Amino acid sequence: MSQTLIWRLLSGARHTNILNYNQSLLSSNERILSNYFSLRNTSFFNKLPAEDIWRGVTAVSNAGKKRGRGKGSGKKVAKDLNKGQTIGFGKCGRIWPGLNSPLIRGNELINQQKLNENLDRENGILKLRDSMGNFKLMKLNPIDRGWSGSKMPGRSIGPPDPVGDEEFISFDTRVLENKIVFIMKGNMGRKRRYSVLSVTGNGNGLAGFATAKAPEVRTALRKSKNRAGQKLINISLCENRTIFHDFRTDFGKTKIFCFQKPDGYGLVCHRVIQTICKVIGIKDLYAKIEGSTNLQNIVKAFFIGLMTQRSYQDIANETSSNIVQQQKARNGFIDVKGIPFLNSSLTHNTHEIDYMHYTLGNQIVLKRKGTLPFYVYSKGHNLHQIKAERFRNQANVRLHKLVNSYA
Amino acid sequence: MHLLRSLRQLNGLQGVRKAIRQVSTAPTKPSALQYERDPQPLFTDAETQRLLQSMTQLNLDKVYRKRTVPDNSSETKFMSNEQLDNEFQDLVVRAQHMLQMPPIVQIKKDVERVIAKDPALKDFANSKFVFTDITFGRRQSERKVFVRETDGTLAYATLDTTKRMNQLYFPLEGRQSYTPRMFALEELLAKCLTEHKYEFILDRLLVQYEPHEPEFHNISARVFEHLNESKQFDLLRSTRHFGPMAFFYAWHRCIDDLLYDMIRRDYLHNAVELIALSYKLHNIPVEYQATLTELDKLHPTPAESALAELRSVFRRQADKQNIEEEIHTAIGKTEPDFAADEISLKFIEQYIASEHSLKKVQLELAVQTLKEVNREKLLLFQGLKKAHCIQAS
Repeated sequence: MSQTLIWRLLSGARHTNILNYNQSLLSSNERILSNYFSLRNTSFFNKLPAEDIWRGVTAVSNAGKKRGRGKGSGKKVAKDLNKGQTIGFGKCGRIWPGLNSPLIRGNELINQQKLNENLDRENGILKLRDSMGNFKLMKLNPIDRGWSGSKMPGRSIGPPDPVGDEEFISFDTRVLENKIVFIMKGNMGRKRRYSVLSVTGNGNGLAGFATAKAPEVRTALRKSKNRAGQKLINISLCENRTIFHDFRTDFGKTKIFCFQKPDGYGLVCHRVIQTICKVIGIKDLYAKIEGSTNLQNIVKAFFIGLMTQRSYQDIANETSSNIVQQQKARNGFIDVKGIPFLNSSLTHNTHEIDYMHYTLGNQIVLKRKGTLPFYVYSKGHNLHQIKAERFRNQANVRLHKLVNSYA
Repeated sequence: MHLLRSLRQLNGLQGVRKAIRQVSTAPTKPSALQYERDPQPLFTDAETQRLLQSMTQLNLDKVYRKRTVPDNSSETKFMSNEQLDNEFQDLVVRAQHMLQMPPIVQIKKDVERVIAKDPALKDFANSKFVFTDITFGRRQSERKVFVRETDGTLAYATLDTTKRMNQLYFPLEGRQSYTPRMFALEELLAKCLTEHKYEFILDRLLVQYEPHEPEFHNISARVFEHLNESKQFDLLRSTRHFGPMAFFYAWHRCIDDLLYDMIRRDYLHNAVELIALSYKLHNIPVEYQATLTELDKLHPTPAESALAELRSVFRRQADKQNIEEEIHTAIGKTEPDFAADEISLKFIEQYIASEHSLKKVQLELAVQTLKEVNREKLLLFQGLKKAHCIQAS
């Protein structure tokens, strides 16, 4: 036991001796390698290709993807470090004949020689790398934008694909909802897909909507667009711009009150209803949603409401009284819209019915009281109101005077 | 307080007003055609009014046309037949009210009416004092305004001052204290005229000026003269300005263009009424009363025809008598219409032959073409009736 230990020690000494001897030999001869030390040049930086190294930073593992990690993926982008570099040009500027300059110029042989250092080059490369790695916002033409930023909802995805020879001319599809949904699979576990709800229409009373799911966003969009094209519904428009009458409609906990509005009113409603109206061709509408604002339920409720509209003639027949419309823009001119088929004054109903209550199914919109600002009941505000009372109309009067005395 | 304020306003206003008048007086310069004697008795005469109203016609779609209003909402209602009929009658009454013609009266001259001269008050102040009666509820014409001059004279204010004081204390909506630029600058008025905005000009004129003011007469005469050249008479039909326009032409013996327009549009009874009006205004010894009464029997008044048109919604399409009505609507004329046309054509031809018409050739041609069209219509009418086995009543 002791012998072997001594032997080891001895051999070790011999080794070191040799090393020392070698070192002294070298140093005595040249004196260049004075600080020689051992290097272990192995790390994943030189074992793996650049692609794999970058993936570690920019991508999410497969397992992570399954769990829905890496929502910010795509924000980090791999940099190409070779960009802006050329062989022969480096940190210290040097002329290498045959590499970055010709061997012979005229009759002269060019020698290897040092140039002065170029700091601009270094800075330029750094700047280039900085600009590469940054996440760039997707630039979208303001016309193509949806409801919010570069998100899909509200954006147009073109007409449905043609079926055989039948083309969807003058149709436009808009995305209403684009979300990730999960289901459990026996062998795959939690599997995620994209669910897209879109509505398509020709702007002239023909429209349809559909949801579709697919593992890829693009496929989901295409599927829902084409499915919507297969489920078209004909909706008749009043004067080619609005609905026939006010109506109330619901689906699930969502209740919608829709009101017919005069020309030039516009669409004053939830953005989903607004988008649907644009696609159908409704231009003037006011809608108030009560209860849940679940997107799919809003779409379904609104379409049900549109489909259950009745014409003036139908309402007149049901109630056996005439329907007239008075427009303030025409100074109260009476426009007869519907006359009952059995027009007899004998069935004149004694109880008066209000047209709006009738069409809304005797329901009215809940009017919520607005919350008053905190200072309303304060002493100071009271005082202010008392002081300001006598100037209430002053601005109007001034304006009136200015208008009247304008020359 | 009132007094002081009125003084300040008056001094301020007069300077600007003078400046405007000096810059441009072009649109308000006296026109060539003026009412040399008072037209008011002849205009307000019941028969004249009836003739003018009939000529104006009553097209409800035009009277109740879509206008720009702050609130353009609409209301939908249920109505029983009686309610609907009441509303129809109300509509016609309101339309007639809206078509009420602005009166044609003589230009009122300023008369100086001195109440008192008090030389003792001379130089009591540097400016005039205006006293205005601001009693509530008095009419503009009744309101009394006096001026105490710096030399001590107390007198009734001039018409101009009276109007301005009225506008100051009881402002009329739309009336401006200064002349609107449209009436002050020649080029703006000319632009309006070339764009055929006759109704707009006349409406604004009514708001801004009283019918007895010279500006009212001058500008309205200019509009009517321009209209006579551009021949866009249809723009004023079913507005309150058509009556005064026809009266203006009849008074100044230039009805021929309007007459031609009426014949071309097949408003023959209107043409007869226009000729009758000119006979009446100039005391021409031609018997027109008989023709008018005959025509009145055959023709409903504008209000009646408008009401009938409204009530046509009550008629059921499936009814049997409606074949006759369908023929009438397809051709646009009924039997009494054809009879009335014959009477009126006779009367018009008589006028054309007389020395009063100036554009004889043109009018004769129009009458001839109308006659031919009428003959064809009559043949078609009779043929259709025979085909549907409807006996002529």
